[in-house]
Amino acid sequence: MDIHTPLAHFEKVSYQYPHRTDFALQEINLTVRKGELLGVIGATGAGKTTFCLTLNGIVPQFYGGRFFGHLRVAGLDTVDTPIHQLARHVGMVLEDPETQLIATSVENEIAFALENLNVPAEEIRARIPRVLEMVRLENLPKRHPSELSGGQKQRLAIAAALAVQPDLLVLDEPVSQLDPQGAQDVFAVLRELNHTMGMTIVISGHAAEELAESAHRLILLAKGAIVAEGTPEEIYGNVPLLEEYGVRPPQVAKTFWLVRHLLPPGASLPVRLSEGLNRLKDLPRPVHLPAIPASGATRPSAEALITVRDLHHIYPNGTHALCGVSFDIHAGEYVLIAGQNGAGKSTLVRHFVNLLQPTRGEVHFAGQDTRTLSTADAARRIGYVGQNPDLQLFNRTVEDEIAFALRHLHYPADEVRRRTDEALDALRLNDVRQRHPFSLPKGERARVVIAAVLALQPEVLIFDEPTTGQDLAGATAILDITRDLHRMGKTILVITHHLYLMPGYAERALLMNKGHLLLDAPLREAYHNLAALERTALTQPQAVKLAQALEARWQVPLPLLTPQEVAQCWLAEATE
Amino acid sequence: MSLSQPSGEERRVQFLGGASVDGAPVAYLIVLAAVVTVLAFIPFSAVLGMGGSFPMSQGVYSLVGWILGPLAGAVSSGIGTLIGVFVAPHTTRVWYVSVMSALITSFAAGAMAAGGKRRGWWLLPFVLGVLGFVVYVGRGLQNGVALSTALMTTFVNWSALILYLLPTRSLFARWIASTSLLKLAAGLFLGTWMTYGLAHVCAGAITYLMFNWPAEVWMTLIPIIPVEFATRGAIGAVIGTGVIAGLRAIGLVKPTHAAY
Repeated sequence: MDIHTPLAHFEKVSYQYPHRTDFALQEINLTVRKGELLGVIGATGAGKTTFCLTLNGIVPQFYGGRFFGHLRVAGLDTVDTPIHQLARHVGMVLEDPETQLIATSVENEIAFALENLNVPAEEIRARIPRVLEMVRLENLPKRHPSELSGGQKQRLAIAAALAVQPDLLVLDEPVSQLDPQGAQDVFAVLRELNHTMGMTIVISGHAAEELAESAHRLILLAKGAIVAEGTPEEIYGNVPLLEEYGVRPPQVAKTFWLVRHLLPPGASLPVRLSEGLNRLKDLPRPVHLPAIPASGATRPSAEALITVRDLHHIYPNGTHALCGVSFDIHAGEYVLIAGQNGAGKSTLVRHFVNLLQPTRGEVHFAGQDTRTLSTADAARRIGYVGQNPDLQLFNRTVEDEIAFALRHLHYPADEVRRRTDEALDALRLNDVRQRHPFSLPKGERARVVIAAVLALQPEVLIFDEPTTGQDLAGATAILDITRDLHRMGKTILVITHHLYLMPGYAERALLMNKGHLLLDAPLREAYHNLAALERTALTQPQAVKLAQALEARWQVPLPLLTPQEVAQCWLAEATE
Repeated sequence: MSLSQPSGEERRVQFLGGASVDGAPVAYLIVLAAVVTVLAFIPFSAVLGMGGSFPMSQGVYSLVGWILGPLAGAVSSGIGTLIGVFVAPHTTRVWYVSVMSALITSFAAGAMAAGGKRRGWWLLPFVLGVLGFVVYVGRGLQNGVALSTALMTTFVNWSALILYLLPTRSLFARWIASTSLLKLAAGLFLGTWMTYGLAHVCAGAITYLMFNWPAEVWMTLIPIIPVEFATRGAIGAVIGTGVIAGLRAIGLVKPTHAAY
């Protein structure tokens, strides 16, 4: 594979969106070489999406604004070449596959771009099975895209981009909405395309573990500028640099960074799990192991706040989304609900706020059947932050968005102002309070919705994938708020695939699989139950895998969850 | 980190996608045509004299013209209305009159702010409006409608013609381009009244020639029509203020002949 010929060349590229005074990209000088798999990382708002959109000319041709410098892709200037010509050379896959799927069947979806490019029908028919095989969807050509899982939809979007046979495939946060198995599937396909076909790929995102496994090179963006560039070892191995710019390192790198004094001088940090597992043997067995933290949830003895009994839900299209789920949630609990895409998690919590009604079974909130809850009651008592923040935004400014429900629930003006200010502070939205919500990046739009719900001060808060598309600082800020609310006595329910984020927050985990409740256990127990996690397409965080490797090596139980806890095995002894 | 002056050469940015109509991306035309079609489903007032009801989409024809410009706006609202004729027949009386109203309103709105070689484009809808007024009122007088009744019934139309002829046309256009939301809303309300008033009288002329409703109906229409026009203006102002404020804030590419 020739990874030396330049395919894309940025020369002094800077870009400013219309009506903005700051620059989304600043002085970018970079060459993307043929056959390279380049990762673009950075905090939310660092310019990753803008960087991706410059490669097919959407920035600046569609957005307008001011563009400085030159960017050539496959020999074409992206400012002077029409987008439809660039589209022959640059395939684009966006964060949310739903926004790019428009056809009524998988094969029609692939054909759509080709038809627009006037590719002969016979050639289209030949390409469809070829690209479907590449993304492992060859058995579903007639399936309606809406019936695919999240991972399948994303792979279909990739297939549609591949069918054009682009020189460069650009993926903007392609796995942020996928469960770990779906994310691994997508990255496996990308690695295969890169290795076997020499496809040049640019991927932006926060998927540190996957990018460490797959990328040849990484660039770290901050405020639109490249602040570091190098191999995954160089970038992910520099933990202080990443933390300075709000980027999460792979857990394996973080763990070894914490015990770096035990590594040979000058040794680089492992950034991939396999390397980390190998390097464990370099670490001495401590004489004394630290006390294992308490195993988590102690169920409050109070009466259940939410009672779910034999809950079934069948959608009008016949999908049996919930199949006899039963459990109780007590006041003051912090519960993680996890499971693969399509496990029924969102369907479940929508019953709590009467957005859905049981097909069979019952859901009670504080003794009241949720079917009888009015919208106003539900809004006051149960805050629901949905998966797609855009569906909950409709005001002209961030401030209005947060104050909207308060005003409509007739709170006094002073109270509206006070609660709005508090919510803006808590979610770090003060600087954008007068901005239009849709002018913000997706991560910040999600924070606006959370702020709006938070302002209502409900008893129960349900967060459906609140950390999707968030950088480390954004995700931590949101989860810290949930922890503060929990400490104030609120009941918190969080749905997420990002298991590595939840230790230190959730106490109890409900694992769901295809509409069934697979496991209801304290968090520590759930994370170490590999069989249950695998059944629902979840993968253990790297720190848990390292802990299990140590457990097998040392023959002691080590139900550890985080890099800090794993490192504590050695650090505790050092501080004694 | 802030950048005062980038070191790279500043480039001339233009939309080169090719898929555009008179400087407006086709995607915008499709979206707004879809909005017009969807609003065609919603009736907001009964039609005296002929039966049926008016579609709510009449409130956004002008908005489409201001967003897309006179030609692209007319194409978009025309297509949206034509589809609406088939999918929402309950709000359609005479299909070609519905489409014609959409075309004239959007064109008149888009032409309000036109400059350069398009400076005189506003004359076309104005002349059509005058002709429509002459035919409508003239036929009414022939049918025995009193002049005072005819003038009161057509208040919305002659007021629209006067507002469109006078500098108020460009004043409303400036308000629509204003960053003040109050001025924007006022411009949208009055602009919708004015531009729909031109199309309304043209449509009225044709349908009156077809149906010849009696003088009593003219009387009944006197209090009703201004309320309907105020409703159309309110629809345009409410939807338009949000849409235009959003478009400005999001910073999507602005069609070449947009008025906002």
